[in-house]
Amino acid sequence: MTWPERHRRASQAALYLGLLAAWEILPRTGLVPRLFVPPLSEALATLVADRREYLGSLPTTFGEIALSYLIVCGGGILLGQLVGSSAVAQRMLLPVLRSAYAVPLVVLYPVMMVWFGLGSASKIAFASIYAFVPTMLTAVAGVGALSPALAETARAFGATRAQQILYVALPASLPSIVAALRLGGALVIVGVIVAQMLGAAEGLGFLITRHRTLLNSPGVYAGIVLVLLITGLHEILLRGLERKVAAYRQGA
Amino acid sequence: MSRPLVALREVSQRFGADGGAVTALEAVSLEIPDGQFVAVVGPSGCGKSTLLSLIAGLRPPSSGTVLCDGEPITAPMPRKVGMIFQEANLLPWLSAADNVAFPLKLRRVPRAERLDAARRMLALTGLAGFEDRLPHQLSGGMKQRVAIARGLVQNPAVLLMDEPFASLDEQTRMVLGDELLRIWSETRKTVLFVTHSLNEAVYLADRVVVLSARPGRVVDDVAVDLPRPRRFAMTSSERFGVLKERIWQHIKSAERP
Repeated sequence: MTWPERHRRASQAALYLGLLAAWEILPRTGLVPRLFVPPLSEALATLVADRREYLGSLPTTFGEIALSYLIVCGGGILLGQLVGSSAVAQRMLLPVLRSAYAVPLVVLYPVMMVWFGLGSASKIAFASIYAFVPTMLTAVAGVGALSPALAETARAFGATRAQQILYVALPASLPSIVAALRLGGALVIVGVIVAQMLGAAEGLGFLITRHRTLLNSPGVYAGIVLVLLITGLHEILLRGLERKVAAYRQGA
Repeated sequence: MSRPLVALREVSQRFGADGGAVTALEAVSLEIPDGQFVAVVGPSGCGKSTLLSLIAGLRPPSSGTVLCDGEPITAPMPRKVGMIFQEANLLPWLSAADNVAFPLKLRRVPRAERLDAARRMLALTGLAGFEDRLPHQLSGGMKQRVAIARGLVQNPAVLLMDEPFASLDEQTRMVLGDELLRIWSETRKTVLFVTHSLNEAVYLADRVVVLSARPGRVVDDVAVDLPRPRRFAMTSSERFGVLKERIWQHIKSAERP
């Protein structure tokens, strides 16, 4: 590890610690009303005290996230690879998809509740639609990045069409597949939590909304801490995966 | 003379719509005997690279035939013809040894066997000890050595080299040129070496084929009668200058900068 790298890590750690310290101290000094933001320790204490309620919301939440993840990343990446490998499909679809990206899809959620009910189906449908297009666009970008020179080299050494895909095109697009997984996963988590907050009978987002209507700030923030933990965990896992496939980046 | 190893008969190559927008090569006939080191030079865009890609079987000629060992070439024949490109074109996620072994992997040679072959080739190209490096951990010259080892790993009779040293600096180019001559004298391959550098062509080759500007035709076929092994001092000899001058006259009239 070089010195600048160490400096970077140290200053990042200091930033995180500073934010956490501010979260604890500012409400205690009265600069920020406790109703708006309770001290971190109170949120954590509530999380521990009511752990059965919070942990009980996780199976539903994780189940919805997992299914949406599967739909978004499976479908989005597969479709992205298909669209990416056809110049015609790219010219036709990409402008449409980029415009669709700009639509605030959350307006569709009430409709989805009517179609799919208050249960998990509406959360999964919303999160999947919300995350699908950006994930797919990320996957498309990776396919276009395959260098024709590598493909021709493989061909000169006798690679069949299937071998070109298996040994050259697929490994070359691994970094963009992982990037798509990272983005898709993050958006799916947002989609599920938001959907649960807007209308649900269970789940972490539902808990947050319920405590908010009761003006129970520590309860709200206990939920927020859990959401932060989930997204943080996802981020750490996917970053690790990204490092593992870094060698697959072309021109490295 | 015995049957040539590589033969082109009246080969033409046209690109573009209606089979005639651009004529890259026109009626090129060439016979290359086994073991000869042939350099191909010519003005920019004269179809030198196209010529190699035809022998590599990467595309069929518009007309005429390309023969290797008496058989027409219709598809890549990696066991007979090894190809080395201007860029090393290594797969960035594979180690040097795995890159060299890649052509064998395509033929489903068992891993231990193909890595063994790769190690021998890397030793031949002066890269013993670098087997596990990834391409980005190697210098430009070393990457090109890996590419040469990959071209040799199936022990092909013919080695096609498409400006293999063009993106390297002058010193590396000279060192690799001598290395190539050493490898050639040890393996006795037939080499077709496309280059922009007249020095390189005369220094390395037995014979220099000069192509005209587009459409590429063979305008001269120069036998390089310098003794082997070649020495750097020969590049300042009178004979070297005479040969270079003769080739330059063809190219000068065609290049319009």
